[in-house]
Amino acid sequence: MKLIRLAISNLAGSSFRSWLVFFCSALMAGFVVSGTLVIRGADSSLRLALERLGADIIVVPKGNSQRLETALLMGIPAHMWMPDTVVDDIRAVSGVEAASPQIYLSTLRGAVCCSVPEMFLIAYDPDTDFTLKPWLEKNLEGGLALAEAVGGSLVFVPVQDGALLVYGTSLELKGTLEATGTGLDQSMFFTFDTAFKIAEESSDLAVKVLDIPPRTVSSVLVRVGMDQDPHQVALAIAEKLPNVTPMETSSLFQGQREQILSLLNSVVALLGITWLLGMGLTTVIFALAVNQRRRQIGVMRALGARRTVVLQSLLMEAGLLAIAGGIQGIAIAALAIYLFRPLIVRLMGVPFLFPGFLPLAGLGLGALALVLVGVLLAAAIPIVRVSLQDPAISMRE
Amino acid sequence: MITLHEVSKTYTVSKELTVPAVRNVTLDVARGEFVVITGRSGSGKTTLLSLVAGLTRPTSGRVLLDNVDVWRLPDAEQSLLRNRKVGFVFQFPSLLPTLNSLDNVMLPTLFADNADPAQAKQRATHLLEQMGLSDKLHAYPRQLSGGQQQRVVIARALMNEPQLLLADEPTSDLDETTEHEIMGLFREIHQQTGVTVLLVTHSAELGSYGTRSIQMAGGEIVAS
Repeated sequence: MKLIRLAISNLAGSSFRSWLVFFCSALMAGFVVSGTLVIRGADSSLRLALERLGADIIVVPKGNSQRLETALLMGIPAHMWMPDTVVDDIRAVSGVEAASPQIYLSTLRGAVCCSVPEMFLIAYDPDTDFTLKPWLEKNLEGGLALAEAVGGSLVFVPVQDGALLVYGTSLELKGTLEATGTGLDQSMFFTFDTAFKIAEESSDLAVKVLDIPPRTVSSVLVRVGMDQDPHQVALAIAEKLPNVTPMETSSLFQGQREQILSLLNSVVALLGITWLLGMGLTTVIFALAVNQRRRQIGVMRALGARRTVVLQSLLMEAGLLAIAGGIQGIAIAALAIYLFRPLIVRLMGVPFLFPGFLPLAGLGLGALALVLVGVLLAAAIPIVRVSLQDPAISMRE
Repeated sequence: MITLHEVSKTYTVSKELTVPAVRNVTLDVARGEFVVITGRSGSGKTTLLSLVAGLTRPTSGRVLLDNVDVWRLPDAEQSLLRNRKVGFVFQFPSLLPTLNSLDNVMLPTLFADNADPAQAKQRATHLLEQMGLSDKLHAYPRQLSGGQQQRVVIARALMNEPQLLLADEPTSDLDETTEHEIMGLFREIHQQTGVTVLLVTHSAELGSYGTRSIQMAGGEIVAS
């Protein structure tokens, strides 16, 4: 017989107490995983979205900054226009290294000429683009040709259509970008030429004409020089062009970040309470258990069990419950967060990105290790006390 | 085999209250003796047995087992000594309720270094058969009568072929017939194996089962 078998048989013999510690462990691990998943998911989503933008400053027509943030975060299309002369004006601002215009469009809702309703469409200028270019060069060996597009991670070609229809024009989906958890995942990117082709063909192929006002752009993405302060450059743009709003990407999504920070505080507080309660309850349960089993512990000592063996055996019981409960809690928490992520996004008002397998496995292992240490520490207090007692005293009480 | 030299044990209940359980006891037990210690409740019999076994530290005096001072040994060696040399039969139900008879008997091997599981199982089975429990190998303590449980405990005590068998009121919860059966079993084991037996009982009548009888009162040996 091995010590682990003795521990398992002891656990089976006191099922109510075992279930309680199992439940505490599950709760503690579940809270760690769900809290971390939500916070990290929201944070990495915002971070990836900012990386995807790849610009230091985004210039939009005055009064449209909030709409652009919503479009980028939630994928709700935004239409805004400003004269394309602003591109050259911005380039002329001191500190600007590159400036590239974009045009924001959207598909129609409930129209057969569009495969996906109300999809946020972003047309870029391939001659000046510096945000999509690195990805395109790496993944598609060059840029996008006419009638080609790349989509966010949630964009796919509907089976029944065979191609992506945008205002009746068939677009070939050449690639899919990595998930960000934001509205960019539901957006599609193509060149200015493709946008103009769609607009031109829409009068014949679509139920409604795609109207792109001539010589206009929706936004200008700006990259500042190496030693330039984006804030100072943004101020200079605002000063020179009073009809536009330069948005520094480092301060984009400020509202969402504050929300994540306040969520983090709540999660930390909740975690603290859960862990205090869980560890307290575990201590009480093990104090009761060892108190009830004093005689058994005394007998084990009398039969030749060293103090460390008694300690090991009881801690093994705590450890087994922590591992079993922890795994259960982690699995349930991860599954619940995965299944209810649209609800989480809606309730919290922040984007959310569910991690891949490896980060998730790492988080699970980390949470399991934390719970194991927590439960062992909580159980150790009464266990050490009883193991230090004279066996004769243990057997008398 | 056993030497107790001016051994005393006083329990401290509180700062003001101390209870002397054993007072200045000096005792020698030779190898192969069957000593029955009798006395009324509270006379210090059980404490004396615990002192011999190294289960409680004496307040003063020395306890020697085979000329080794038990309380000079570190915990690991003291435990090993108990595991290899001493077998216990307790007054209270001491079987682990979550283990069956076979596993309960094999329990001491769990705490021994280098125990062979197959050999241990074979010996445990043999011992239980000797105790007349061949049909109860896989029975749990709750499925056994008081007498059967005590036989399993005796089998467990003999598992590591001890040189010393300590029994604390082993028949206190049993009816008269079973009591004599169990005492007969102790005598039989003693005669067959030559193990040294120290048996504590409140019944002066059972003193006749041993080769020597000691009487205790007020924590002292009053007759030997």
